[in-house]
Amino acid sequence: MSEAEKIVGYPTSFLSLRWLLSDEIANVALHLRKLVGSNHPLLKTAKSIIYNGRNTQVFGLIILLISKAAGHLNAKPVEEDKAAGVLHSQRALAEVTEMIRISNLIHRGLVNINTNEALSVESSELNNMTFGNKIALLCGDYLLSNSCAELASLRNQDLVFLISSAVKDLCQAEFVACRDNQNFPIPSIPPENRTGYALKEWTLLNVYGAGSLLGKSCEATLQLAGHSKEIQTEGYKFGKHLALAWQASLDLGLCINKDKEILHNLCAAPIMFHVEHDPSILTELDKGLESVENIDYLKVLEIVAAGPGIGLTKELIKEHSQKAMEVLNVFKESDARKALSNIIVAIGDF
Amino acid sequence: MQTQMPGSLPDYQIDPYRLAEDDLKDMFDDIRLELITNTTQEELQPISTYYLDGQGKAIRPILTILMARAINYHKGRNVLSHSQRQIAMISEMIHSSSLLHDDVIDQSDIRRGKPSVNVVWSQKKVAMAGDYILAVACRMLSRLQNDEVTITISQIVTDLVQGEFMQLGSKETENERFAHYLTKTYRKTASLIANCSKAVAILAEVDDHMIEMAFQYGRNVGLAFQLVDDLLDFVASSEALGKPTAADLKLGLATAPVLFACERYPELNAMIMRRFQEHGDVKRAFELVHKSNGLEQTRFLAKKHCAEANKIVQSFAKSPYQKALIIMADLVINRMK
Repeated sequence: MSEAEKIVGYPTSFLSLRWLLSDEIANVALHLRKLVGSNHPLLKTAKSIIYNGRNTQVFGLIILLISKAAGHLNAKPVEEDKAAGVLHSQRALAEVTEMIRISNLIHRGLVNINTNEALSVESSELNNMTFGNKIALLCGDYLLSNSCAELASLRNQDLVFLISSAVKDLCQAEFVACRDNQNFPIPSIPPENRTGYALKEWTLLNVYGAGSLLGKSCEATLQLAGHSKEIQTEGYKFGKHLALAWQASLDLGLCINKDKEILHNLCAAPIMFHVEHDPSILTELDKGLESVENIDYLKVLEIVAAGPGIGLTKELIKEHSQKAMEVLNVFKESDARKALSNIIVAIGDF
Repeated sequence: MQTQMPGSLPDYQIDPYRLAEDDLKDMFDDIRLELITNTTQEELQPISTYYLDGQGKAIRPILTILMARAINYHKGRNVLSHSQRQIAMISEMIHSSSLLHDDVIDQSDIRRGKPSVNVVWSQKKVAMAGDYILAVACRMLSRLQNDEVTITISQIVTDLVQGEFMQLGSKETENERFAHYLTKTYRKTASLIANCSKAVAILAEVDDHMIEMAFQYGRNVGLAFQLVDDLLDFVASSEALGKPTAADLKLGLATAPVLFACERYPELNAMIMRRFQEHGDVKRAFELVHKSNGLEQTRFLAKKHCAEANKIVQSFAKSPYQKALIIMADLVINRMK
């Protein structure tokens, strides 16, 4: 990854520095301190954004890499960032994409406060949760509104259309599948004819949740560089398939490593494939309809491991990786293209 | 309560609501249709359209429509263009999106006389639905293919959030407090009206001076609107408002009436600093505001902004819409809810 970062000029974690330095965020840092010691997940989200910056900013990095791999046609000289071979507008777009992704991550990290339960919860804890939600909501709004303004300043309405469509899809993702009290997804009951159920549901959830944003951002960056409609569409395909390959491999990792995090991602590909294969696993999964914490995840993963889910997921990763790789062949040989293909290979390496 | 009409206007009475009625008639249906057809997820539909039931005051789209028509008339065209109508829709969508997020933050139980959205759906889904409305509004905006308009409308969104941050807490001194309050009020309320006025003026292709006039009208009416809102929080019955009274105090917020009352009753300063959290603070502050002339001063300031707005509109060509803008400013001052 850091090899790839060198190619585009500087570490992508730099992307986030600008918004971290604003007054509003300085204010938030003060408020966050009040939350230390409480259970609000905003702290976890914040930690992963700040300390794990490298891993979480992959989207921005990929956009810069594909920008460089594709090159640009008839750019105005002032627009060009000679050192890195990426346009300023493309860098801004990468930043916007990251802001949107993090904003969505933060909004997804809100806590649902059940008013009936609230009576039984200690009031200080309740206050923490309410206050944490407030800060989380505002932080997400802050990033979203800034990305909106930054996008507008690029003076390109096709770009605004693409990126706001991606934001729309991110929001829709939170409504796909069944949900527990905290809005964590649980596979929905398959229809009578189960053929294709797993793939259809999983793809919908993850195109909305990740593929659309990366795909449309890649499409947008090629548009900024003045490439043809055909190439732009290839860019969309590349981003979408890469995001799906990546998600499938994350899903697989959770299942193989018996990671407890799987409870927050029960619509992971291996589980979905298993539900299609044998819906009786839903008896176990539906114990989580109230709260996913009530599910014996080790038991679920054991059932999945014995079925076809793992194998089918490996196929899925391969399929999406291949499709992403095919797009790369459109571009001529370069460091950036090599870096992208390395990323794809790394995703398929499990 | 009677306000003298400035200038020599015709005697017949113009009702701004009637004047905007035709343009407004299908607008809420159209907004709902946009929000419904833009998603495959059924549950997102009722949440995102919850406050778009046409039961609100619709003050933002009305002002936007009237401004658009007044300016078009000024240029000799008695129409409302499609893109200007889109801006009116977007104004209500941005407002609605912010209402959803406000409800997640404030945990209020009722709004506009019905259960708040967060009572019916979980916080996470409500927050997402707010983001969704904004995204759909931005898509509509991009289709207008006007860079300046997009920039102008995005400004609203950043202002709204920054206003919210200002409300969160501040370290300002007593002297800076009022300026802080006015900036916050501009960002949270007036910016939306001002920038939508500006956007429809840009779309009418008038000169920069006229665009600035449109913006300033919106800014002044917006400020007056919020000042009156803050005033009504102290005087109107909760029934008329559709929400509880003294709600701002209960949220720990010091609005204009309290800030004015502070001049006569300095003991309020301490209460402001502790955000009315101690037992009896809300009740005591409420009484002191009524004993002081904070309410009159607030009304006076609101009137000043309305007079400013009216002065601006005087320079527009005379038309029913131009007159309606003047009447709207007066209605803002004299409204009871």
